[in-house]
Amino acid sequence: MISRFPALIGFLAMLLLAAAASAQTRALPKGQLLLPEFAALADKASESVTVSLEPSLLGMACRFLSADDPEEAQAKKLCTSLRGIYVRHYTFEKDYAYPKAEIDRVRRQLSAPGWNRIVEARSKKENTDVDVFVLIEGEKAQGLSIIASEPREFTIVNIVGSIDLEQLHQLEGQFGVPELDIESGRKATAADKPPVKK
Amino acid sequence: MNDEFENQLRRALRPVDAPEGFAERLMKRLPEREQPVIAVLPVKPRRRARQFGLPAALAASLLAAVLLGQQFATWQEGREMAEGLAAKQELLQALRVTSQKLDLAYEAVNSPSREDVEENRS
Repeated sequence: MISRFPALIGFLAMLLLAAAASAQTRALPKGQLLLPEFAALADKASESVTVSLEPSLLGMACRFLSADDPEEAQAKKLCTSLRGIYVRHYTFEKDYAYPKAEIDRVRRQLSAPGWNRIVEARSKKENTDVDVFVLIEGEKAQGLSIIASEPREFTIVNIVGSIDLEQLHQLEGQFGVPELDIESGRKATAADKPPVKK
Repeated sequence: MNDEFENQLRRALRPVDAPEGFAERLMKRLPEREQPVIAVLPVKPRRRARQFGLPAALAASLLAAVLLGQQFATWQEGREMAEGLAAKQELLQALRVTSQKLDLAYEAVNSPSREDVEENRS
């Protein structure tokens, strides 16, 4: 009886793990990636942006967007059909201080059926890789993912929901790099960013 | 012999009257008794309490509930406002990062000097 006890505990633990894993997989809506938390990276990074907007929080954020502000009005139009926005963006003082394996693990999720790579850009000069993936269902984009890595920076963006690519294109004009101010109040300065022209 | 003894006993145990003033002296020696205190307790107006006590308690409870409810609603509204504004800032920040990276991709794809860029559009 006593000798069976550890085996029973092991069996129960396996059952629990399997249940937890299946719940996690089941809980992810279509188009959502399982992003690592990168908690350890946040301490090492000179700048980090971690955004996890679940549907309820995203809905709340949309309600607070003003229709009078052109930037917010554009975002409001876009976000009403979205079901989640997840961003992990880190900037480092040293080259390649981030775990490439973790990024590859995310990249592997994008090889699932439905995901299409619409842009694959590799710059040998600036060591910049940018991949843009879209999850197409029917004739509509139901998800967008961007994986961008530079020697001192990496970014993973995962937008879940019905995405109007035209609106997203308009968004570029509204949130364009020249007006970008994500560094305000952070350690990094605009000079740390690679020069990008429109 | 027996008769003699009986007579002696009778003589010794014959009823004798108490001396003059014995009863007064005895009463004087006894400690004086304390007069019992009669406390008159105030009579509660039971009928009034029964008439107004319960409705008053109910009214007070109702008022307290309304005030607490208002306080809670105000607190929740403030909390939702703070959460909403924080979520809005996060959303705008996420869209800025997204836009920046899309711009980077756009730039890489449309750059005139594409010798160093391997592009693959499907």
